[in-house]
Amino acid sequence: MARRFLTAEDVRRANAAEIVVEEGTVVTPQALEAAEQAGVAIRSGAGAWKEPAPDRGPDAQTTRQRLPHLPEPHDNPTLESAAVVTAVGKNRPGVLAAITAKIAEQKGNVNDVSQKVVEGYFHMILTVELEPGASFDAFKTALECMSSPADFAVRVMNERIFRFMHRV
Amino acid sequence: MSFSDREILETIRMVELETLDIRTTTLGISLFDCADPDLESACEKVYAKVVHHGRDLVRVAESIAADYGVPIVNKRIAVTPIAWIGAASGAEDLSPFAKALDAAAAEVGIDFIGGYSAYVEKGFTRADRALIDSIPQALAATQRVCSSIVLASTKAGINMDAVARFSAIVKETAARTAAQGGIGCAKLVCFANAVADNPFVAGAHMGIGEPETVLNVGVSGPGVVRSALQRLGPDADLLAVAETIKRMSFKISRVGELVGREAARRLGTVFGIVDVSLAPTPAAGDSVAEILELIGVEMTGAPGTTAALALLTDAVKKGGAMASSSVGGLSGAFIPVSEDAGMIRAVEAGALSLAKLEAMTAVCSVGLDMVAIPGDTPASTIAGIIADEMAIGVVNHKTTAVRIIPVPGKKAGEKVEWGGLLGTAIVQDPGRFGCEVFHRRSGRIPAPLQSYRN
Repeated sequence: MARRFLTAEDVRRANAAEIVVEEGTVVTPQALEAAEQAGVAIRSGAGAWKEPAPDRGPDAQTTRQRLPHLPEPHDNPTLESAAVVTAVGKNRPGVLAAITAKIAEQKGNVNDVSQKVVEGYFHMILTVELEPGASFDAFKTALECMSSPADFAVRVMNERIFRFMHRV
Repeated sequence: MSFSDREILETIRMVELETLDIRTTTLGISLFDCADPDLESACEKVYAKVVHHGRDLVRVAESIAADYGVPIVNKRIAVTPIAWIGAASGAEDLSPFAKALDAAAAEVGIDFIGGYSAYVEKGFTRADRALIDSIPQALAATQRVCSSIVLASTKAGINMDAVARFSAIVKETAARTAAQGGIGCAKLVCFANAVADNPFVAGAHMGIGEPETVLNVGVSGPGVVRSALQRLGPDADLLAVAETIKRMSFKISRVGELVGREAARRLGTVFGIVDVSLAPTPAAGDSVAEILELIGVEMTGAPGTTAALALLTDAVKKGGAMASSSVGGLSGAFIPVSEDAGMIRAVEAGALSLAKLEAMTAVCSVGLDMVAIPGDTPASTIAGIIADEMAIGVVNHKTTAVRIIPVPGKKAGEKVEWGGLLGTAIVQDPGRFGCEVFHRRSGRIPAPLQSYRN
């Protein structure tokens, strides 16, 4: 196993103009400071040392392979990314149209809609399938940005949480 | 897959009204490779490694919370017990490690880091001793570091020398943080049968046998269970009560399982365990005591409380076991007195005594947690309280812990405000009889017969 850290003490002991570390070595902030003060260059491979991506350990690699194979409460494996959109607010003409238009704009496909109006207030639940590869974040932001205190509030949740909670 | 409106609204109600949340996502980081004969270099490595691995934790947790719409309240880090890492340095004072951990926690934006710890159930190494002796200084000089010491196990028995030393350390830690009501002790806990994958502070640490890095999740949700029992009403029989709790625990734990898988995937690490625990907060409705009262005791601490808690803990575990194949940590129900509005009420009303609380710990998942006692309680009495709690754990093959705060200058019945998650406590009376001779004997209480299972 290679050296995992380079400390300030290592820099002082090396007493050289250049220190070459192996890929994946973590150089402590104090070592960087000591090297800068002493005019020592810390290199790794071809160029100056840059903080490597964290090596999470030998088990992490196998976990990455195994995690996707854990059984999911799932009956349609193609439905990778779906969202549940809920909206509540004061009822007015065109609310459903406004929300579904925004969903269409984000290339979402509405699978299920339910709406109820009680004493002038509407409550709406939509299940939406997102395009393969579409960003859930972008979808969520676009929809939730429609919320305004004077009109209605929209909330977007990943459908997976409902599957986990309500299906086995 | 389609869901009924009822199912969708149930999930949203749990999050919005019943304070369902993921209590903690805790990243465990092994520090074994940070040991160094030079103390300063060791601390540098500890800081660098924690920051290197912990940097993404808060961002990942927040992105998951946003995607799934479930709050992730705390992001924390647990590390290898510092006594094991500090041993190579031979230092007499290991508090520089605490400062390095504190600085690293601040750098990655988390509020607590656990692992200023040692295992001494059978005896002390030099480093264990150095670590324990430095606890008061380490906790007074840092804000985010939590310390846990293992004093007993079913396999080893109870190290009464360690209990005695720990009790003195508790008093000293309280004295050093006297101006804040002895708050240092809120970050200090001792264990019997400690679990190596506990994601909850103050006891979080990465024990032996854990991987290089691991992501553990602690779920919560007393509010969800409480509301379900409220809907069930007072006429349902106890089997129905257990079934209701189990179902709710299943749903809560499934959220933990999902978040654990997702956080591990996004961080590129191992998914460790889901700790299925009902962890109360001072917030209204987020109370374990109120669940016990809904099960049917007039006030927590009244006769029937221990049995109700046993039912609750067991049902929570059963629901959780079905929801995740990786149930671990402490899993059960927490009863931290100052952090639970219902418990505080019960102490105030005189319903919940220290003795009853001790009985309850025999069937809950942890132990005497966040209990305030008078500042002038002798160390020998604190040692007696700790030894009793350790004995419950050792004999029953369970984890027990003590987090006790001798509040400087306060007498039994007085109130102390710690604020935030730590809440408010009423100073409890440990009684006027002591255990001086027992304390003075020192030595070890041998492992019980039930430990010989080999």
